[in-house]
Amino acid sequence: MSDETSARRLARALAPKTVAVVGARRADGYMWLRNNSTFTGKLYSVQIDPNEIPGIEALGVPNYTSLLDVPDDIDYCVVAVPRPVAPRIVADCAKKRVAGVALFTSGFAETGEEEGIRLQAELGRIAREGDLNLIGPNCMGLYNRRLGVRQSAEQAAGEGGAVGFISQSGTHAINLGLVGEQHGVRVSTSVSIGNAIILDVPDYLDYLADDAETKVIAMYVEGVKDGRRFVRALRDAAAKKPVVVWKGGTTDAGARAMASHTGSLAAPMAVFSAAVRQCGALAADSLDDTIDVCKALLYAKPGKGTRMGLMAMTGGQSVVITDAFVNAGLDVPRLSPASYEQLASFFNIIGGSYQNPLDMGGTIGFGAAPGTLERLFGILDADENVDAIAMEMASGFLVRMWQSNPASLDGLIDTLAKHQERSAKPFVAVLQPGHVEEVTVQARKRVQDRGLAVFPSFERAARALRRAVQYHRFRSGMG
Amino acid sequence: MPASAIIDGARAQNRKLLSEIEAKQLLAEAGIPVSPARLATTAADAAKVAAELGFPVVLKVVSPQITHKSDVDGVELNIGSQDEARAAFDRIVASAKKHQPNATIEGVAVQRMERPGIEVIVGVTKDPQFGPVLMFGLGGVLVEILKDVAFRIIPIEPRDARQIVREIKGYPLLEGYRGAPPADVAGLEALLLKLSAFIEAHPEIAELDLNPVFAYADGCIAVDARIVLE
Repeated sequence: MSDETSARRLARALAPKTVAVVGARRADGYMWLRNNSTFTGKLYSVQIDPNEIPGIEALGVPNYTSLLDVPDDIDYCVVAVPRPVAPRIVADCAKKRVAGVALFTSGFAETGEEEGIRLQAELGRIAREGDLNLIGPNCMGLYNRRLGVRQSAEQAAGEGGAVGFISQSGTHAINLGLVGEQHGVRVSTSVSIGNAIILDVPDYLDYLADDAETKVIAMYVEGVKDGRRFVRALRDAAAKKPVVVWKGGTTDAGARAMASHTGSLAAPMAVFSAAVRQCGALAADSLDDTIDVCKALLYAKPGKGTRMGLMAMTGGQSVVITDAFVNAGLDVPRLSPASYEQLASFFNIIGGSYQNPLDMGGTIGFGAAPGTLERLFGILDADENVDAIAMEMASGFLVRMWQSNPASLDGLIDTLAKHQERSAKPFVAVLQPGHVEEVTVQARKRVQDRGLAVFPSFERAARALRRAVQYHRFRSGMG
Repeated sequence: MPASAIIDGARAQNRKLLSEIEAKQLLAEAGIPVSPARLATTAADAAKVAAELGFPVVLKVVSPQITHKSDVDGVELNIGSQDEARAAFDRIVASAKKHQPNATIEGVAVQRMERPGIEVIVGVTKDPQFGPVLMFGLGGVLVEILKDVAFRIIPIEPRDARQIVREIKGYPLLEGYRGAPPADVAGLEALLLKLSAFIEAHPEIAELDLNPVFAYADGCIAVDARIVLE
């Protein structure tokens, strides 16, 4: 076992068969046992306090008073003990040859106080001497959706996801899992890395880059410790799959908040952004933005071209959808003569137009011949001036119909899904929350359940698609 | 003198700042286009060097203590003859001595007065986390006021050179604005790639500035160069 490399042990920890929780207690509602109640493997508890043991056993989890007594190899261990005890437990983990340990305990270097800094140095020394994979401290550990190892009892478990997430914030790690779920972006493996005194972003990047389940890697970082190593790992990972980098602390005031959060140093933002771009990774600037980019990468077909074919329902929407895509750095060219010739034969130009965007409300609206929308898709799909297609799903007009007759949405979704199946061009749909949000949110979920990339605004669709395109351009040596 | 000898020489004298002459010699050896500067220690020497380089020339004071040469009236532009070169030499030395009586004046650097081009700047600094970082921008007031610059981590690849030049807002100026001929962007990219390789080969360099570089329709040339060692 001692021959097993650190990377191999980390792989075992991130996809564990055995999990131990050290320090479960009633006061926090047995948080870590509950977080891992969905775990598909064997769960153990380690608690020395006789007052706590009955409550733990009542949850059906076998408890031991020492980690060393657990009659099994431990792949992943969550430690939630008071700060002064943490070094001793970490030493036990090293002795037990635990494959990976997440230290939930906080109060170390991030406090800036002497005792915290001293204890963190001690943890580092113990972990290094024991060749121990230490995650954190001051972290929320691991989320593996498929295996039911979680950072929060709110997180879903079951089938595996496609996005690997590395986060310097526990909150963002949890939220990417929770909010992503609402948008059809499911996590494969996510790690909250905390103060990252032993394992750092590059270690997790290396793992996720080779993890078959992970199709897209995303990360939230505030600062990096070894920029050169970060760049190497980022470049290697981005050569294998898309990597989305959400940077926190981009303003001077944000950087101050960051120093007291994880104690990271900030490189000037311009330098950090340059590094991200240079590695072929994609920059994101919020949780929603990160999810959006992942969504475009996972659901839209891969495409390198920047020329959009746009479809909207009214003149006003045609103008603003165009602005949104151009502002995001994409192009909205004129269509080919062949397309115009075809469009001229049936497009209703009274209250509409087909320059690009196709202002198509009057053409596909009430009384239109069946198959008209399909015909428009066919024209844009065949047009050699169009690389990708975006369409407004006119929630403003249709939401009351969807509300009174939910099945009325099915036909539209079906047309979109069939278009995406047939077409090799990236497709994004926009379904604005509009004036009856409780219906449009449900409608959006039904659209994404059919495997379509659907966004709540033109801007979000455009910015997400732009970065997906940027990735495929980088991969092919363009741009 | 080979690069290592120049750097070792400066180190032996406990100097971090290379002279412009030394900096340009290093860069020229690395294949980076610079306007060469040569040291003249007498007025007669200045006239001779000027004639060899070809008129018009620029004369600049050389002194380890004088970093801002124009503050001591230590720079004279557009010198058109040997007579003018002799006179300029004397004026520069006298003026530098008057402004900074304790400075060691090693002489005067003579270099060709390059034809004007679009001014760009190229710089290298060391980021504590990311190591050497390359900066590219338009020169003159544009960099001072608008901070219109772009960065890349060294080493750079051809793709990075292509992007960094195009990332600045002032890129249309290089493309040939209002009928001006386009600058040799490929030449600038080649300069950036060579500079990246040069910095990789010399980790002892802490800072480097080429300011300005003149970009022409056919090629580019660094007119001034500054190198600071670790």
